[in-house]
Amino acid sequence: MQLAIFWIFSVLMLLFAGLVVVMRNPVASALSLVMCFICLAGLYFTLDAFFIGIIQILVYAGAVMVLFLFIIMLLNLKEEVARRLKLSAFFGGGLVLCGFVYAMVKAVINLPEVWQTAPKLETGGISDVARIGFKLFETYNMPLQIVGVILLVATIGVVFLSSRQLR
Amino acid sequence: MNPILLEAVLVCYAFLLLLVEAFNSRMPRRYFGWAAVVGTTVVFFMTFFVDSSKMNPEAGYYGFYAADTLAILFKRFILLVSVCVLIMAIEFAPVLVRYLPVEKPDAGSGEMYSLVLFACAGMMWMASAQNFVMIFVSVELVTITFYVMVAMMRGNRASLEAGIKFLILGAIATSLNVYGIAWIFGTLGTTELPEIGAILQSIDSSLFPSLLFGFGLIFAGISFKVAAFPFQFWVPDVYQGAPTPVTAFLSVGSKASAFVVLMRVLESMLSNSELSSKILFMLSLVAGVTILMGNLSAIPQTNFKRLLAYSSIAHAGYLLMGAASIVSGNSGPAIAYYLMAYLISNMLAFGVLLVVGKSTGSDELVHFNGLGKKSPWLATALTLAVLSLAGLPFTVGFFGKFFIFSSALQAQQFILVGIGILGIGCGFYYYLKVIRAMFWLPASKEQSISSPIEISKPYAVMLILLSISLIIFGVYPEPIFNLIP
Repeated sequence: MQLAIFWIFSVLMLLFAGLVVVMRNPVASALSLVMCFICLAGLYFTLDAFFIGIIQILVYAGAVMVLFLFIIMLLNLKEEVARRLKLSAFFGGGLVLCGFVYAMVKAVINLPEVWQTAPKLETGGISDVARIGFKLFETYNMPLQIVGVILLVATIGVVFLSSRQLR
Repeated sequence: MNPILLEAVLVCYAFLLLLVEAFNSRMPRRYFGWAAVVGTTVVFFMTFFVDSSKMNPEAGYYGFYAADTLAILFKRFILLVSVCVLIMAIEFAPVLVRYLPVEKPDAGSGEMYSLVLFACAGMMWMASAQNFVMIFVSVELVTITFYVMVAMMRGNRASLEAGIKFLILGAIATSLNVYGIAWIFGTLGTTELPEIGAILQSIDSSLFPSLLFGFGLIFAGISFKVAAFPFQFWVPDVYQGAPTPVTAFLSVGSKASAFVVLMRVLESMLSNSELSSKILFMLSLVAGVTILMGNLSAIPQTNFKRLLAYSSIAHAGYLLMGAASIVSGNSGPAIAYYLMAYLISNMLAFGVLLVVGKSTGSDELVHFNGLGKKSPWLATALTLAVLSLAGLPFTVGFFGKFFIFSSALQAQQFILVGIGILGIGCGFYYYLKVIRAMFWLPASKEQSISSPIEISKPYAVMLILLSISLIIFGVYPEPIFNLIP
C-alpha cells in the first residue's frame, strides 16, 4: 500500500516538475510547481513525517507560491516567446546532464540493501512538533541563530534594494 | 575568553551600528564606516585573548564550532581583510552614492558597512565550522550578504546585472551543495566532520560511489565560492560589475574562508586511503583546468578589473594545486601562506584600482596609461602588487608560489607542476601589461588623468602598510610562517 502511494506521488511529482519547465505560460508553470510541492508533501506523509508534510504545504505550496503568483500577475508576464535552441548549448547541457545522471544512477545502484536502520523511536512517531522544536533549539541551536542573522541580512537587502528613496 | 564571543560581539556590533544609523539620519555616514573599522580592529585584538579550553562541551554550540589554531588564524586573516575592505568602502562611498536614489548627499552608504561586518562574521563562522549543517548555514550567510552587496550600486546596469548573475548561479551552487550534504548524511548517518572521518576509516567499499557523488556535489558548491573550474563563469562579470571594495572582499575573503571549509572537509574525507586517491585525482584535474583557464583567458583582457577576475581564477587554481598535494603533509601551511600573500598583494592592487577608477570613472587599462608620471607613488604600489601577484622573487607572492610548488613536487604531482609553470609564464605576460601601461605608454589627452590623484590620509596609510609588508615578508617570510600551525 505504502509503496503504491509512493510510486503514484513520485511519478506525479516528476510529471509536474517537468511541466514547470515545459509550460509557456508563467502562471501555468507556477501552478504546476504548486502541484509538485503538494505531491512532495504526499511523499513526506507516506514516510510518517506528517509535520514536515504539513509545513511543506503551508509554507511552500501556500505562502511562497502564492507570492510567486502575485508577482507574476503584478508584472503582467505574457506567454514566453519560443526561442530557437542553440545546438552547442543543447549538446553542452545534455553532456552535463548525462554525466550527472550517470553519477547519480551509479551511486544509487551501488547502495547496499539496508545499510543502517535507525533505532526505533520511543513514542513511535517523528512528526511530533515538540520533538522537532527540542532538536532545533537544543542540538541545532547555533545554526538556528545564524539563520536568524541570515534573515536579518536578507531584510536589510530587500529594504536597501527596493526602497524608492534612501534616507 | 570563550572564542564563541568573537562572532557574537561582531554581529551585535553590526546590529548596533544599523540601529544607530536608522535613528540618526543627520550623522555623516562616514562616521559609521570608521566605527566599523574600530569595531573590527577590536575584535581582531580579541582573537589574541581567546582560550578554547573555556568552551563548554555541554553547550549547544559544541560539535559545530571548532576553535583550533587553524580557525583562529583564519579568523584573524578575515578580520584584517574586513578592515581593509571597510577603509576602501569609506573611500568608495561617493561613487556608490552616485548610483543611488538618495535624499541627502551621503545617504545609503551606511548599510554597506554593517553588511561587511555581517559577511565578516559569516566567514569567521565558516573558518570554525565543523559540521555540514554549520558549514551550510555560514556559507549561506556570506553568500546572501554578497548578493546584496554586489547589486548595491542599483542605478548602475552592470552592478544589477552582476547581482542577478551572482544570485542565479549562487542558487544553483547552493542547491548542489545541499544535495551533496544530503547524500553524505544519507550514507553515513551523520553531518559531523570528525565523526565522518572516524566512520570512513572502516567502511565498506560498496558505499564509495554514493560518497564520491556526495563529495563531488559539495565540492561543486565550494568551487563556486573559490571560483574554480566548473563554476568560474560568474567571476569576470560579477567582479567587473560589483562595487570595487566588494570585489576585493569577494576575491580574498570569500576565497580564504571557502578554502578553510575545503581543508576541513578534505581532512575528514581523506581518512580512507582508497577514497582519498580518487578525491585527490578529481582535485588535481580541477586544479589543472582552473590554472589553464584562468591564465589563458586573462591574456587578452583590456579591463583591469576583469583581468584581476581572471587572475583570481588562476590563483584559485594554484591553491587547489596545494590542496591536491595534501599527501605531502606541508601543503596546509603552504595554502595558508599563499592566502596571506594573496591578501596583501590583491588588496593593494584593488586599493590602487579603486582610486584610479574613482578619478577616471573607468577601470579600463588605457586609463592607467601615464599613471607613472602623474602619481608615481600609486604607480609604484600597483607595480609591487602585480609583481607579487605574478610571483617575482623578493615579493611576498614569490614565497606563496614557492611553498605551493615545493609541496606539489613532494607529492609527485609533476604534470600539475608543469601546468602551473606554464600558468606563471602567462601570468608574467598579462601582469607586466599593467606596468607597461603605467610607465611606458603615453597618456592621450582625453583619457588621461589631468592632475595627481588625491587620496585621503588613512587610505594612503593603508596602501603604504600593505606595500611595506609586501616587501618585508617577501624577503623575510618567517613571521607569517611562525603563525601558521
